[in-house]
Amino acid sequence: MDALQTLENVLQSLVAGLLIGSMYGLMCVGLTIIFGVMRVINFAQGEFMMLGMYFTYFCFAWLGAEVYFDGLWFPFVLAVLAGPAVFLLGLILHKALINAVTGRRASRLEAQGHYAQLVLTLGIALVLQNGGLFLFGSNPVSVSNELSYSAWEWGPMVGDRVSVFVNQAQTISAIIALVVVLCFGLIMVKTRLGKSLRAAADNPDAATYMGIDVDRAHRIAFGFGIGITAIGGGLLASNVSFQPYIGTEYVIIMYAGVVLGGLGSIRGAFLGGLSIGILQQVSAIVLPNQLQGTVIFVCFLAVILFRPQGFFGRRDRTA
Amino acid sequence: MSDALLQLESLSAGYGGVDVLQDVSLTLDRGAFVAVVGPNGAGKSTLFKTISGLVMASAGNMTWQGQNLGNVQAPKRAHLGIAHVPEGRQVFPTLSVLENLEMGAFVNRDRAAFPEFLEKIFTWFPVLKERQRQPAGTLSGGEQQMLAIGRGLAADPAMLMLDEPSMGLAPAIADEIFTRLVDIHRSSDLAILLVEQRVAEALHFADYAYVLEAGRIILSGKPAELQHNDRIRQAYLGM
Amino acid sequence: MNAFGNLSGVKRDFLHIGIFGLVYLVLALVVSNSYYQLIMTIVPIWAVMGLSWNLLSGYSGLISFGHAAFFGLGAYLVALCSVVWDLNPWITIVLATLAGAGAGLLVGIPTFRLRGHYFALAMLAYPLALLYVFEWLGYQEVALPMHREAPLTYMQFENPVYYIVIALVLLMLALGITSVLSHSRFGMSLLAIKLDEDAAEAAGINSLYWKLAAITISGAIAGAAGGFYAVVLLVVTPLAVFGMLVSAQALIFAMFGGVGTLWGPVLGAFILVPLSEILYARYAADFPGIQGVIYGVAIIAVILFAPEGVLWKLRAMRKPGTFRMLGSTASKADFGVSEELLVVPPVHDGKPVLEVTGLAKAFGGLQATSDLSFSVREGELLGIIGPNGAGKTTLFNLLNGFLRPDSGDIVFHGQSLQRQRPNRRCAAGMARTFQVPKPFTHLSVLDNVVIGAYVHTRSKVEASRHASAAIHLVGLHDHLDLPAANLTNKELRLMELARALASKPTLILVDEILAGLDPQAMQDMLVVLRRVRRLGITIIIIEHSMQAMVQLVDRFIVLDHGALLAEGSPDSIVRNPAVIEAYLGRQWRQEEAGDE
Repeated sequence: MDALQTLENVLQSLVAGLLIGSMYGLMCVGLTIIFGVMRVINFAQGEFMMLGMYFTYFCFAWLGAEVYFDGLWFPFVLAVLAGPAVFLLGLILHKALINAVTGRRASRLEAQGHYAQLVLTLGIALVLQNGGLFLFGSNPVSVSNELSYSAWEWGPMVGDRVSVFVNQAQTISAIIALVVVLCFGLIMVKTRLGKSLRAAADNPDAATYMGIDVDRAHRIAFGFGIGITAIGGGLLASNVSFQPYIGTEYVIIMYAGVVLGGLGSIRGAFLGGLSIGILQQVSAIVLPNQLQGTVIFVCFLAVILFRPQGFFGRRDRTA
Repeated sequence: MSDALLQLESLSAGYGGVDVLQDVSLTLDRGAFVAVVGPNGAGKSTLFKTISGLVMASAGNMTWQGQNLGNVQAPKRAHLGIAHVPEGRQVFPTLSVLENLEMGAFVNRDRAAFPEFLEKIFTWFPVLKERQRQPAGTLSGGEQQMLAIGRGLAADPAMLMLDEPSMGLAPAIADEIFTRLVDIHRSSDLAILLVEQRVAEALHFADYAYVLEAGRIILSGKPAELQHNDRIRQAYLGM
Repeated sequence: MNAFGNLSGVKRDFLHIGIFGLVYLVLALVVSNSYYQLIMTIVPIWAVMGLSWNLLSGYSGLISFGHAAFFGLGAYLVALCSVVWDLNPWITIVLATLAGAGAGLLVGIPTFRLRGHYFALAMLAYPLALLYVFEWLGYQEVALPMHREAPLTYMQFENPVYYIVIALVLLMLALGITSVLSHSRFGMSLLAIKLDEDAAEAAGINSLYWKLAAITISGAIAGAAGGFYAVVLLVVTPLAVFGMLVSAQALIFAMFGGVGTLWGPVLGAFILVPLSEILYARYAADFPGIQGVIYGVAIIAVILFAPEGVLWKLRAMRKPGTFRMLGSTASKADFGVSEELLVVPPVHDGKPVLEVTGLAKAFGGLQATSDLSFSVREGELLGIIGPNGAGKTTLFNLLNGFLRPDSGDIVFHGQSLQRQRPNRRCAAGMARTFQVPKPFTHLSVLDNVVIGAYVHTRSKVEASRHASAAIHLVGLHDHLDLPAANLTNKELRLMELARALASKPTLILVDEILAGLDPQAMQDMLVVLRRVRRLGITIIIIEHSMQAMVQLVDRFIVLDHGALLAEGSPDSIVRNPAVIEAYLGRQWRQEEAGDE
């Protein structure tokens, strides 16, 4: 393999990594919101991504590709709609289950507060995964999107060699992901709701003194968190094939991205997810398929052992 | 119909079944300046937390403007006109000064009136205007205290509760803060409930004072009566 | 009453284990349906997993989501050894146990440095990583070779009853180990760490050591379970042994049955495994994934309704209102008032017991302690006072080892303390009480104090003797058996003082022990403090109110904003104008001056 081929491979990987990484970044943002505001590690985050994927898939299959809009845009619209759908589910779940173990109630439990949350979300993950198995079957499916098969060619850059193919569906997905993150960032920074969420995260007691209902803030944050991750899943649905257990595969990706970026930082989470995406795609050049997961895991472990506060975060949050 | 804003009758409250406050009775009238002094561990912060709803009362009554306060959930109490400036400032460190103040005004339905309030707060505490875009966590102790007070005022409350505003501050800065507080108090009908360690300041400015010791009110009266009370000197200085 | 501690507790457990084993054996001989026989083999294996998880997480409170790592390693070790070298399971299960132990230690050393969420995340990640690795290595499915010719050697029996027997033996071993450990210093230390790690450290418990011991033993047991599991199933796949469901099961059986109890994991396994297996067998075709749903629902239900498990809930229902007590390994024999055990013989070499030079500590922008220097003489009673926020508790945290100074040195008995952790300082003779008392709420008063005594002795008798002496000194001998949660504020503080005394200190740091006490209680406390002092122990006491201190201390140090404001005898301090100003406010001083 000559140098130009290698160059092409590397560039291709970088591009793919950036595009896929944007979707990872979006999912990481969802996870970090939940941790940032609620201080909860949600083990079921991968399952909500899976729900987003299946939402997109089923709506696409049932409503038909050509019926609405131009068939090409439809999967993306659906992916974005998965957000509010899962958001609503999140509100219900939080009120019914999670509220019981977070907040001030938590201190009464044997399983010291955050452990109860962890274990509860583990239970939810199991139910969603296996319930999904029952509802959706175990056959891998995917959202067939013509754009997944089309790509723009960038190049040739060196003579008539070195071309990079930029997948169109992935590009649109990446753009949407970026837009969603920016919108959400704006919500958090500019709106009264967003500020109240950040206040509740900074200091729940003081927030209560201000008249902010911290339980409600957590509920909304939880809904946002899983809703955003569901959008990420919906976008990914056009790019990968999935089955109900897919959540577990992506859990490590999401957590690696989040800790890389610093728990609680939205910008950090997006950049972290992006980095993991690039790492994954570039490592595919030299490593066999199964080991990609191990690389990400090693990265994750290294970060939490040696630099738990992450690299990209702006906030100085010491756990 | 009395002028009483806040009325506590035989209030007991505490954590985990152990009552820190016992049989506390206290009245705060509209526009009054009432101080609560007492040694450490006496239960002063618990008192405020109970009024704000973070601690459940185990016995006794709390009324606000004639209505029973005990039934009202904690986040709703701010909507009633109760503002709490907590011990240790407790600003929102990652939010900017301006955002902190906005959060103070969270309960205000009339958003349009906020800029006016903001200007007033800036006149009382000009340093906040200078630093309005800075994250609150980067401010000095004294500036944070001013921000916390401003935040409390932003809600245009009927009562402002301050928990040891001078704690950890250099005497000169604490003096400045007290002076501002007095100005604010005199220029409106804001009622102030102050918990303080610095007994002299508290007694100097207050209309009425209570002495809290081991969870009970042991003395109360006008500052002039209490000022030269030997029991207070004993409690603090053992003389 | 047995003078050797609660050996009767262990004996009782062993009796129960024996009876249980007998009953199970009889059942095994009676059941003939091969499917039920398989369940009777599997259930004990999962009970063992639950016990393994319980040993680490149930007792110490460090919730592990990754026990599948040890289980899977054990399973693969047995499978691969039998495929590659044709080793028989009797050898390989032992190897699996060792591998589990080694893995536990390897995992524990880096991971215990992590706190809270990070610990949980890391533990979750280990089995996942191993799953990837084994898939990559090509071990998607490893089948143990058949050896019909030597069924006993290779544990491949025709009659399923033999499998059940081996499973039962493993379970009884695991139960036995758990029982012995939980009644020993091991169990006590883990419990203390779980209830309040800081208090445990300050009382001399080396939390890292005990956590590593726990995970090593836990890993060993899980490895054994995995190894045997491989023998029973005859085929090992990554998902079956490293999957999240395995870790979840280890967790749920203990949490469902009763965390930190001997029989809880057994109860959980015996209820949940047959339930899920039978439902799976009947409905799997229509309802794939039913097992996962059941376990998920069980976890959710437990957390919401009985977060401590069925056993604890039952006990609470049977005896409503009584507080749930744990432990109780200390001997209740009354050793009488043997105060001489606690006496500190004077050294009289003129050197200070404690010497602090240039100590400084800042948090962000706040200088909590700045350039603090002072020394404490042998047998002295030094009072540290100052307004709120002056840095008093920070000073104690620096002396005690919970905080590291930015600069400066602390020399204790001539040795610089450098970076020594709190438990080492306790062993060196520095004990402490906390501003907000940190009782081990679920333990009796005696056990609370005995924990402090273990720092200088291994023997339960010795420890109980010292604990008893300390309890007598503070006047709590009527409360020996009461759960700490039922004590009043004053009694809690006395108990903490007793715990500090039980470690035979030469120096005690007493943090606001009088706060919130009414005048009578305050006087009682002073009497006790004077008693402590007469033993020859040096005391540094933080207080906010001078009223009581003036009667007690030899010398005062006044802190303000982290720096030394004044130093001297009570008389001189009380008249010091700077001190008066810091406390009562400038106006008071001016008014006093105006008056005079």
